[in-house]
Amino acid sequence: MLTKTQVVDGAAIKKAIESRDGKMLSSFYADDALVRVIDRNNPPSKPREVRGRAAIATFWDDICSRAMTHKVDTTIADGDSLAFTQACAYPDGTKVFAAAMLELKNGRIARQTVVQAWDE
Amino acid sequence: MRPIETRYALSGEARIAYQVVGQGSLDLVFVPGFISNLDLHWEDEGYTRLLRRLSAFSRLILFDKRGTGLSDRVDAHNLPSLETRMDDVRAVMDAAGSGRAALLGASEGAPMAMLFAATYPERTRALALYGGYAHFHKWVMPPERLNAFIATAETAWGTGATLPNFAPGRVDDAHFTQWWARFERLSASPTAAAALARMNAGIDVRGVLAAISAPTLLIHRRNDARVDPDASRFLAKKIPNARLVEIPGRDHPIWTGDVDRVADLIEEFLTGERAVAEADRVLAALLVTRIYDTTRMGDRVWSERSERFQETWRLLVGRHGGRALGTQGEMMISRFDGPARAIRCAAALREAAQGIGVASAQGAHVGEIELRGPPVGLTARVTMQIAARASRGDILASRLVADLATGSGLHFEDASRVTLDDLDEPMALVRAMSEQHLEPDCRARTKTTEPSVLTARESEVVSLIADGKSNAAIAAELRLSEHTVKRHVANILLKLDLPSRAAAAVFSVRHTGPDGP
Repeated sequence: MLTKTQVVDGAAIKKAIESRDGKMLSSFYADDALVRVIDRNNPPSKPREVRGRAAIATFWDDICSRAMTHKVDTTIADGDSLAFTQACAYPDGTKVFAAAMLELKNGRIARQTVVQAWDE
Repeated sequence: MRPIETRYALSGEARIAYQVVGQGSLDLVFVPGFISNLDLHWEDEGYTRLLRRLSAFSRLILFDKRGTGLSDRVDAHNLPSLETRMDDVRAVMDAAGSGRAALLGASEGAPMAMLFAATYPERTRALALYGGYAHFHKWVMPPERLNAFIATAETAWGTGATLPNFAPGRVDDAHFTQWWARFERLSASPTAAAALARMNAGIDVRGVLAAISAPTLLIHRRNDARVDPDASRFLAKKIPNARLVEIPGRDHPIWTGDVDRVADLIEEFLTGERAVAEADRVLAALLVTRIYDTTRMGDRVWSERSERFQETWRLLVGRHGGRALGTQGEMMISRFDGPARAIRCAAALREAAQGIGVASAQGAHVGEIELRGPPVGLTARVTMQIAARASRGDILASRLVADLATGSGLHFEDASRVTLDDLDEPMALVRAMSEQHLEPDCRARTKTTEPSVLTARESEVVSLIADGKSNAAIAAELRLSEHTVKRHVANILLKLDLPSRAAAAVFSVRHTGPDGP
């Protein structure tokens, strides 16, 4: 759960992602949050939608259980909007790059859209 | 696209070959059955389809178990335990950087996946088990049948001789039979295959089932040729958080039969969502044409006429606004926008076949097909099964074809209901009747044939057929060569205008008098 000291901002997200802390990441989301993922398998007209904190927690647990590196580079904040880019790599060198746009509501993430691409 | 890389994980002293495909948010480890070969999977349409479907929503981790495919061989005199082999899954996950994964265990892979889930609950996200079992001798084969299987494996390994044990629905598919023979050769040597079979025979994981805490989905084909469906019913009772889905079909390998149905169930189980319907699927009428009874002519004549008929087939399909999709074994598959066109083309093909000196047998069906790629989906398979049931000159179709052709002027009569491998319910079939005003009546004649048309020798042969004897057995009994018996059988069928040995047997029984048929 979100505690008073944990403010959802670029620095907190960067720390949670880079340390692969799925639990911490999940705690940043509102109960009814929506994460939309757009990539080769999930085109813009039918993005993958992950709804609710429980499903989002599973989503992050899956990703954070992988022995891969994540680096959050650029973070831009503007009022209740937040954006960042993320460069990831698998142990075999395969790279993934993602750009995320977030909408905050009452200090938590209400909506997030991720666009990602990978080596293939 | 980058080629799929094969890497090797070290498990104890054994090298285990693995591949990673896809970029989904969850890891899915596929634990294959009896034998496998990572490179060869991608050469089979069904296998490729399954792996593509699974890797569209997951990061799919594939490997060859030790003793098979590209992984190290096992010592036939010192077989590794199931625990050692199960630990190969952990080694592969470590090498692929997977901390936690869903496991898909197929056939012999299922007990390994169950043991893994019970041993490493924190690394098991979920368990999907296809055609699995907990005890080999109880649900796969008893010891005496295993010995016969091993004897077959040792003497005929690499010829595809084991196919009927696994996928009886594909034994008539020449292309697949050849692939299966390669699959045997490239997955294991005869000694290794026997060692693997002995290793699997020792499988008994009944004791660990209660310790599995991961959500578990069980899938089993109702008439599975290899593993008794009771095996999964037992698992459903013993694994605490398990759900069983029984699906139609009899072919055992997970990449044969209705692959999409299996992939749909797994995807929904793991992601909570059904697969998005693919946009490149369209409704179409399929026509499958085959040459009926190829045993009646010599190889050279058959080859010439078959070639001529295939040329005519391409021509007539095009003329009727259809598209020749390709051939699978002896089946010629074409696609039409509407069922009436398909049936009219079938009638034209039937007539053309007669002109060439062959007889046709055809099947038509309507359903969704994929616009691209070879015709391998459910609609194609159902149509091929309908065509396989058509007798000399017949145009059989699903009831749906007749319903959609209402108003076309075509006439149909009800034929039997048949049970097809991939369908839950028996399917009602109809027979297309000739359009008298347009075409000559070329349906199979229902003339009464007298037994007196047969020679004394042929009468002897037909009686032995009625006794259920094979050509080899008849040859031995009459002191003839098997080839001569084959010729006799062909002549008998031709003279009596019968479609099969079974029909000849029935004829014999009906006409048996004091002097025989």
